[in-house]
Amino acid sequence: MTKHPNYTEAFEELQQIVSEIEGGDISVDQLSDKVKRAALLIKICKDKLSATEGDVNQILKELESSELKNEQ
Amino acid sequence: MPEKINDLTIFSLSEVTRSIQNTLSERYPTAFLVKAEMNKLNYYPQSGHCYPDLVEKADNKIIAEIRSTIWKDDYQRINDNFLKVLHEPLTNGINILFSAKISFHPVYGLSLRILDIDPSFSLGELEKEKQETIRKIKAEGIYQSNKALKLALLPKRIAIISALTSKGYSDFLNVIEGNTWGYHFFHMLFPAHLQGENAVESIITQLMRIRNVQHHFDAVAIIRGGGGDVGLTCYNNYVLSKEIALFPIPVLTGIGHSTNETVTEMVAYKNAITPTELADWLIQQFHNFAVPVQKAQESIIEKCSLLIRDDKLRVLNTVRFFRSVTLSRLIKNKNGIENQLRSLLQQSAYFIQRKREREINQGIFLLENGFKRLLLSWRQHIESTKTDIFHKTMNFINDKNKTLDHIEKNIDLMNPVNVLNRGYSITMMNGRVLKTVEDATEGDLLKTILPDGNIISITSSIIKTELS
Repeated sequence: MTKHPNYTEAFEELQQIVSEIEGGDISVDQLSDKVKRAALLIKICKDKLSATEGDVNQILKELESSELKNEQ
Repeated sequence: MPEKINDLTIFSLSEVTRSIQNTLSERYPTAFLVKAEMNKLNYYPQSGHCYPDLVEKADNKIIAEIRSTIWKDDYQRINDNFLKVLHEPLTNGINILFSAKISFHPVYGLSLRILDIDPSFSLGELEKEKQETIRKIKAEGIYQSNKALKLALLPKRIAIISALTSKGYSDFLNVIEGNTWGYHFFHMLFPAHLQGENAVESIITQLMRIRNVQHHFDAVAIIRGGGGDVGLTCYNNYVLSKEIALFPIPVLTGIGHSTNETVTEMVAYKNAITPTELADWLIQQFHNFAVPVQKAQESIIEKCSLLIRDDKLRVLNTVRFFRSVTLSRLIKNKNGIENQLRSLLQQSAYFIQRKREREINQGIFLLENGFKRLLLSWRQHIESTKTDIFHKTMNFINDKNKTLDHIEKNIDLMNPVNVLNRGYSITMMNGRVLKTVEDATEGDLLKTILPDGNIISITSSIIKTELS
């Protein structure tokens, strides 16, 4: 269990926690930790949905440099 | 008429061309069917006429070539038929079966005049080409390559190959940008021609560029729209299809048509019929992620409160049970103690009573015995004392008798008469017994008593006895 999983790992771990909780395999003692973990995972997943990613300028810069290389 | 100069017949150029023209029209009076590759259409929009280059190739080498003409009216009819049957206009680089006449023009020379082109032949040829592309791709084992890639759980970063002015492009953007769930996509346009003769090269060029920056993207979307079913032949191109099959990230297609799938679409990771449908599919990928997350959240909340409620209930029941058990046990014990106390009181009272009785009896018994014994001992004591007293008294009397006898004897002995009889005498002076020489002085008158009379004498001298 990594501290800050990426969203794909978070999604998988979340599914696992849900099935554990739904399966009733969890004691009330463990519940608090699991719920805290699940809250973190849900936040990671939800943040990913609306996150802004990608940098057009960076991509253009890389494209230019690779095209320059090809011309040489 | 030819000129005759020195027996030589000399033709003018027009006579020659006219002769060729006549010969050819006599030799080829009717139209005939020809199969050829139309290398270039050479359509002139202003006149509406076409001057196609026709070639025949063997082993990729041209072994025959001839110019041809399609007059405006023929061209329009032929092109309409093509669009109807092939969903493609008459274009460069297709194999055609046509009816033609040989035409010779004195100025423009030899050419074939194309009267009609059979679209179903070209369709068959195109279909053959498509099947050939599929066969080659499958033979190379790359047909499933792009499909086998793993698409990101959230395909957010999309490289779009489309035309800025394409209706499909704007449809696509409207859906992914206008989604009401707050899903955020990143997209970047790589402009290309999406149909016609330049499409293959143009799309491949952009794919190459995307390859160089592929780490910025989750997928490539090839988007075309508004073109109807026309101009899709390029998507059956072997080079393009192979490039897509082997592309390192998933390629999504939404090229908007209703006819059979092109090879490009077959090998792509995902094919949607229209750009809008492709955008919806992407949104669906987000739903597929977001809905389980939302459900997980709800499920966890629900299950946890259930679990906690159950546990609380269990604790409460246990407490209740514990209380009732302890209470009943307490009451039972209390009753037991009370009973025991009562019985203890009774028993001890009885015991005390019995004990007291016994002790009294014993006391009485002891007392009686004691008294008896005491009395007896006293009696014995008295008896012994009596005897003792008797004996002692007797002894005393005897002793005293003896003493008296002794005293009597002593008294006898002490009797001055007896003493005097034994030779002793008593000297008296002045009526008193003289006990020491110190009291007498010379010349004193002394009386000496003897048993049978007295002697009166005068002291002549005093001699003191020296004590040794």
